[in-house]
Amino acid sequence: MIDQRVFKFPGVKPAAAMMAVLTVIQAIMIILQAQYLSAAIVHLWKQQPIGTIVAPLAVFAVAFLGRHLLTILKDWLLYPFVEKTTKTLRKQFMAKLFDLGPSVVAEKGTGNVVTMGLEGIDKIQTYLMMIIGKVLDLSITPWLILIYIAIIQWKEALFLLAIYPLIIFFMIILGLAAQAKADKQYAGYQRLSNHFVDTLRGLPTLKQLGLNETYADNVYHVSEDYRKKTMATLTIAMTSTFALDFFTTLSIAIIAVFLGFGLMNSTIQLLPALVILTLAPDYFAPIRNFANDYHATLNGKNALTAVLDVLQRATPNDRELLSDRDPVWQDDDALKFDHVNVGYSADDTTLQDISFDVHGFQKVGIIGASGSGKSTLINTLGGFLSPQAGEINVRGTQVPHLDQKAWQRSFVYIPQAPYLFHASLRDNLAFYSPDADDAAVNAAAAKAGLTDWIATLPAGLDTPIGEGARGVSGGQAQRIALARAFLDDSRRILLFDEPTAHLDIETEVELKQTMLPVFDHHLVFFATHRLHWMNEMDYILVMDHGKIVEQGTPAELQQRDGAYVRLRSEMEGATVK
Amino acid sequence: MKGFFATFKNDHWVMPYLRRYRKLLALVLFLGFMTYFCGAALMFNSGYLISRAATHPYNILMIYVPIVLARAFGIGRPAFRYAERLTSHNWVLRIVSDFRKRLYQAVEKQAVAIRQTHQTGDVLSILAEDIDHIENLYLRTVFPLVIGWLLYLFVVIGIGYFSWPFGLLMLLLLGVIVIVMPLLSVAVNGRREFQARQVQRRFYTQLTDAVLGLGDWLISGRRQDFLQQQDAPIDEIATLRRADHHFQWWRNFAIQFIFGAAVILLVWWAGVMFTHNQAEANWVAAFGLALFPTVEPFSEMSQGVSEWPVYRDSIKRVNALDENEPVKVAQTEIGALAELKLDHVQFTYAGAKRQVIDDLSLTLHPGEKLALLGPSGTGKSTLLKLILGDERPSSGSVTLNGEPIARLQDQRAQLFGVLDQQPYLFNTTVMNNVRLGNLNATDDEVRAAIKAVELDDLIASLPEGYNTEVQEAGSRFSGGERQRLSLARILLQDAPIIILDEPTVSLDPITEQHLLDTVFSVLHDKTIIWVTHHLAGINHVDQVRFIEDGHFDMQGTPDELYRNNARFRSLYDLDRGR
Repeated sequence: MIDQRVFKFPGVKPAAAMMAVLTVIQAIMIILQAQYLSAAIVHLWKQQPIGTIVAPLAVFAVAFLGRHLLTILKDWLLYPFVEKTTKTLRKQFMAKLFDLGPSVVAEKGTGNVVTMGLEGIDKIQTYLMMIIGKVLDLSITPWLILIYIAIIQWKEALFLLAIYPLIIFFMIILGLAAQAKADKQYAGYQRLSNHFVDTLRGLPTLKQLGLNETYADNVYHVSEDYRKKTMATLTIAMTSTFALDFFTTLSIAIIAVFLGFGLMNSTIQLLPALVILTLAPDYFAPIRNFANDYHATLNGKNALTAVLDVLQRATPNDRELLSDRDPVWQDDDALKFDHVNVGYSADDTTLQDISFDVHGFQKVGIIGASGSGKSTLINTLGGFLSPQAGEINVRGTQVPHLDQKAWQRSFVYIPQAPYLFHASLRDNLAFYSPDADDAAVNAAAAKAGLTDWIATLPAGLDTPIGEGARGVSGGQAQRIALARAFLDDSRRILLFDEPTAHLDIETEVELKQTMLPVFDHHLVFFATHRLHWMNEMDYILVMDHGKIVEQGTPAELQQRDGAYVRLRSEMEGATVK
Repeated sequence: MKGFFATFKNDHWVMPYLRRYRKLLALVLFLGFMTYFCGAALMFNSGYLISRAATHPYNILMIYVPIVLARAFGIGRPAFRYAERLTSHNWVLRIVSDFRKRLYQAVEKQAVAIRQTHQTGDVLSILAEDIDHIENLYLRTVFPLVIGWLLYLFVVIGIGYFSWPFGLLMLLLLGVIVIVMPLLSVAVNGRREFQARQVQRRFYTQLTDAVLGLGDWLISGRRQDFLQQQDAPIDEIATLRRADHHFQWWRNFAIQFIFGAAVILLVWWAGVMFTHNQAEANWVAAFGLALFPTVEPFSEMSQGVSEWPVYRDSIKRVNALDENEPVKVAQTEIGALAELKLDHVQFTYAGAKRQVIDDLSLTLHPGEKLALLGPSGTGKSTLLKLILGDERPSSGSVTLNGEPIARLQDQRAQLFGVLDQQPYLFNTTVMNNVRLGNLNATDDEVRAAIKAVELDDLIASLPEGYNTEVQEAGSRFSGGERQRLSLARILLQDAPIIILDEPTVSLDPITEQHLLDTVFSVLHDKTIIWVTHHLAGINHVDQVRFIEDGHFDMQGTPDELYRNNARFRSLYDLDRGR
């Protein structure tokens, strides 16, 4: 019933223990409240003067207020624990994200990770707040009430005790079966909701095909269809609530009738009868509350599972095997891959048997068709992916992966669409060296060919860019990424992953002129299928289906007349008729 | 409160449905009321029953009616609740179907405008969520509120029947619970909701930023900065939540406090009122116990209402959606295409200063093929919008056979076929997706179109063949295959003019080359306007034009340009890898 994982959070046990004590006191208050309200009523029933009810009503008032003050007190006690736990979870989540790196985002999806960190942890907060109190309530309150009733009148107590497992039994039988269906329906609902969003997104296509107006009825019919199916399922799903409701309410009615007969036969007095009747709803209240919040509980449980799944992942260790040095990469250094295999999961090998040997400020071109593994290789070089097998040797140091702190301080990564942070242009330019002064930033921007563009911006370097702010064209985004490389001279390695694939040819030409000077005094890895870049490289890796099928200098490869020449001619075919 | 009425003043999304389905609505409210009525009546009746029994009536028949009633109310409460939940869900889901259709139609009319103001598809998800919000507005706010008030009136009138001054007192006291508390909740929550949304949005932006830029963060090695950046909003959220909780706790306590007072007063009043003889005294317990079951619906009212600020935004958004519908000009039709003509077209976006298109003229005849090149932002996509009639020129004209394109929008799908960067495949079978090009096409025609785009072998190799689901947004197929499926759709559509809007931008050169070969061979008899970002496959066309700053600056056949234009030659050679 209660999630064992909840008890693993630090501070939960003292909080729960205090809560348990308060729950006991609260149950006593509930009993007192019923006892004295009934006493007042019985005084009146005996037609005693009105003054006689002052004392019992006063006790009732105190017990009633006490009961609800205890609710606040319980929340007050629990809340700091819950708040601290969720805050810690959020912070741990962020730290884990940083340590695990982009591969976890690639696996889970950006939207999913953001939702987890935001709404997911909110749900966990609600869940923690609810589950501890509810479970304690359920395991203490009804039984104290039952014991009290048993002291007064054991037969009614026996009935209440007997009905309890029956309620739970029916709840399970009807409830769980129906709930499974309802959950499935919920999945169906998600699908419908996605379908609807899909339809809206596909509107331009529908319009191109002239179907935009007729499709409106389709939207309505799909929705109506769903309504009918949902109602059929809801009818079953709601029987679980109905069953619970039915048994508890009917039990109260039966108890009332029992008590009526008892009173007629004088086997019970009015006061105890009234107390039992007043207490009966409170006896059932905890289980009803628990069942009512089933869905919120379930959501919280799932969110907790998802977040813990990320938090419990092993962080790559040995991140400091490569010794630090400034600059990390120099002219006489070498990087060696020896029979390296890389995959996104254990049973999948995207890159197989990768071996190469580069040194100093070589320019390495990586060429191959889509899906040949170029990006995976760049990701491995960036340390975003860890090899499954093989050896990597940097500067004479054997490392299991390139997720090395020193290594990552040595390169600039420029993908097809460099990410621009939701921040000022200056912060974006100086992302790797936040302490750079204006003069340095401006100089780097000038080298990257951004000066003219910056002059047109309303606030110059302080203009906010990134998603939701000012739009930046693809060419300019590349230049901003290049400026980062200019600004941090200690980063002597450049990793390019299709940097110009989506640019128009003229923009590419201009950008190339800016880019070429950066290649000096840098080790360059350049993955692309734009052939003209190969002319600037002095070593080429030709990739096909996750393997390096050929490597060497352009001249060697040209001479060999193998995979490189074949690929080139096939790609050139695009422009030769 | 002002905000409440202002929201509904020009509302045509919430109120009309309350009116249209008023009978079902009345039923829902009745059932909801009966649920709680039975709950209260059960306690009332039971209190009377045992009091009466305690007087030892000489015959069981004397308490027979209350015994039967106890069972009736005991069964009635869950039964009514069951019925109420089913009816209200049915009611709401019915409305949602209407909503979906309406939202679709509203978005459809403004498809162009929406794409301009919001770049991403996020706005669509927001709108879809709005519908869920309105659904919840009914289920969680409107129904509990109205049912609570009905119950409140019933209690007050019931007591007022015996004694109107005490009824008046209850009117005021319970009024605090059912009117003042909800209002207070909205007031307090409304303000906090505003803050919360700001903090939440900031955290959302930062978190998205952090997740999308995670690679760069990792490379930067600025772990401490990364963690610190998230700290502020995390703390702010925690503070807001705490305030939220504290308010809820005290509000619920206040409700219970008033409720307790009402119970005590009621017992006292019953003590004064019903103690003249034993028969009267039997009613004291009834009154003393009856109020307890009403505390649940009463306190739910405040909770439901405090969600109002969220719903309000949704209502405003959907209402704003279909307010200013674009004006449609009178439509006409033309016969076979003779000429597409742009005559001294100029264009500036509404509200913008920069002229995007500056005096462009162009004439195309059936079967001609034109390639348009130019850096991004120079007006290529705007030109396509002008040709399709999604935008109208500020001056000059775009005509087909002499008719302005704005007057041919009803015929648009018969005139233009479009293949763009990301053609949309719907989450259905291959067959259905392709058939969207022409709903009257037979299975054989669809198969022929798929064969023409050279996908027949691939489709045949799939276990379910033409009935294979393409999955969400066509993810079952690769980029090149998706383009081919859309091309098959266009073949079935059989329009005389085909617009190709950078269809190969995300493809590798080999796939690109094969796709372009297929496109130009199956569309050999069509008029084609092809926007492209580089020169691969340029020999397929008979006219190339470069747009720079809104006007044409290089034009000619590919051969001419290669021979006479040094810039074109260098670009061309570069594209071939030289």
